[in-house]
Amino acid sequence: MEERQDAIIKTHGLKKDYYMGAETVHALRGVDLTIARNAYVAVMGPSGSGKSTLMNLIGCLDTPTAGEYVLNEQPVQNLEDDELARIRNREIGFVFQTFNLLPRATALHNVELPLIYAGTGSKERQERAAHALELVALADRMDHKPNELSGGQRQRVAIARALVNDPSILLADEPTGNLDSSTSSEIMDVLDGLHAGGQTIIMVTHEYDIAVHASRVITIIDGMIGSADADLKAVLAH
Amino acid sequence: MKPWEGIRLALKQVVTHKLKSFFSLIGIIIGITFLIAVITLVEGMNRYIQEDFGGSIAGVNTFNVMQRSNVIMGLESIRERRRDARNPLLDMRDVEVVQGAVPNALYLAYSSDRRVPEVRHGQLSRRNARVLGGSEEYLALQGWKIDVGRGLTPVDHSRALKVAVIGTDIVERLFPTTSPLGQSIRVGAHRFDVIGVFEPQGGLLGSIRDATIYVPFSTYEQTLATRREPVEEINVKVRRADELDAAIQETDGALRADRGLRPRERSNFHIQTSGGILSAWNTVNRILMTALPGLVSVALVVGGIVIMNIMLLSVMERTREIGVRKAVGARQRDVLLQFLTEAATISTLGAGLGIAAGLGLASLVATLTPVPASVSEWSLGIALALGLVVGIASGIYPAYRASRLDPIVALRYE
Repeated sequence: MEERQDAIIKTHGLKKDYYMGAETVHALRGVDLTIARNAYVAVMGPSGSGKSTLMNLIGCLDTPTAGEYVLNEQPVQNLEDDELARIRNREIGFVFQTFNLLPRATALHNVELPLIYAGTGSKERQERAAHALELVALADRMDHKPNELSGGQRQRVAIARALVNDPSILLADEPTGNLDSSTSSEIMDVLDGLHAGGQTIIMVTHEYDIAVHASRVITIIDGMIGSADADLKAVLAH
Repeated sequence: MKPWEGIRLALKQVVTHKLKSFFSLIGIIIGITFLIAVITLVEGMNRYIQEDFGGSIAGVNTFNVMQRSNVIMGLESIRERRRDARNPLLDMRDVEVVQGAVPNALYLAYSSDRRVPEVRHGQLSRRNARVLGGSEEYLALQGWKIDVGRGLTPVDHSRALKVAVIGTDIVERLFPTTSPLGQSIRVGAHRFDVIGVFEPQGGLLGSIRDATIYVPFSTYEQTLATRREPVEEINVKVRRADELDAAIQETDGALRADRGLRPRERSNFHIQTSGGILSAWNTVNRILMTALPGLVSVALVVGGIVIMNIMLLSVMERTREIGVRKAVGARQRDVLLQFLTEAATISTLGAGLGIAAGLGLASLVATLTPVPASVSEWSLGIALALGLVVGIASGIYPAYRASRLDPIVALRYE
């Protein structure tokens, strides 16, 4: 797969400390990372390695203690909460392990959510949300609520929600963690298709057969990059 | 996010949690119900007193001289009332004194009345009627109109004829199918020929007139009067409103002089004006209107605290939702506004329910009792505004808590 070489994500010396009483936990100890536009990246690492912290920083849910982070040519390391919210709204589409759909809202309304905060008018919102649901083959389930959908369908609604704002990166945190293997491959087919269409995807996973879908694997160990461009075979051998 | 989106979202919450919403709103509903019911009834009384009362009991430009006040508002002490009960009864001499004091009065009348246990016509009877004896100018002074037949003539008065003009309630009971004119009615041992029927009055105090048997004062004196000198009320009507105060002062002075009262001695009679009755009602009105805000505030404060707790619970239950909203781009302000709007919407909704219940209660009271009800738009506005304010006030803290949630923590909340 061809990847354009300009960077969508560039971090330099990214550090994150947590203070627990008198003790300081160094969750990230200086991460230098460049991810190209249209990349398909899997982030792996044992629990406690700092990969969640890294994903929170990349997803602009949190700010680093030190270091630089340039997302789509904007430095975002020092932004205020509301500016971060704006960046999340425009640049990032989240897909969570537990789907995190609003339980009482229809699929369509769930997908509309980012557009509401983008200030999009209601007619355009519905059109774009419907279009996003078509992309994940759920056009016929728009009026269904999450509890009327299967796990795979719920995750596809979540993917549609992540895509609806046309984000720079799709950030998937264990997207198949709550799904059985056949549904998992259904979801991975959707992600593969999106990547083929030019979408930058970063996903966190601990399953090798999921990571194998990505074209690049980054491993995090002890708050540092273990290998930034590992050949998956080598990782598997590790 | 636009405000109406928030309102729609809030209404959705209410619809999905009907029972919870109702219980969280019960304090507001009770407070507003009470507010609206009381204001509606008090306004009803106000309008009644301003529009009808003046003409029916103590008319415009009119004052009455009485042995003692017959309006009990619970404000005078028992001792005062007992003392007034020893005032001398009015008699014809007092009538002459008043006549002398206000020679150019428009009308001057005197009257006396008595409740009688029963009035009969043939086999038919009515319990509880009032026989009223009035002097010649009484009807003109009160402005009572005759519907059928005729009123009393000077001859009726001078000869003390046993004729009567009766109210519609009496007609209904004693003459359900026939005309009462020319028929006779029996009160105790006395028979009266019916010569006329009053226009129906209806309303709170009019019902008294509708149950009245009106006879010449002279006739009354000779038939039903129990006291030796049976003048109960002397009524004076002056031509213009600006003559009223002077006429009252003249009357007061003349009666005091006639009774030989010393300058500092209290008057042993009572002069009642419609203004006096109005001011007595106004006192009651003021007490109600002073107590009302306090009582309503208590209900609203309790209601507000309940809403606040329910909202805090709701914020906790919806922590993940808040996390999701923040992750997809909701700013603190968006979340704050969402929950504030929700609190304000449901609380205003509660005020709406309270208004409906209050109007229902007031109209129920108006149907079952003679107290009239009158809806005033300003009270509805105030009620809605109170709902809004209580909602916002009780929503601020929960909404603030929600807006400050860390999205990372909120997304992981179980």
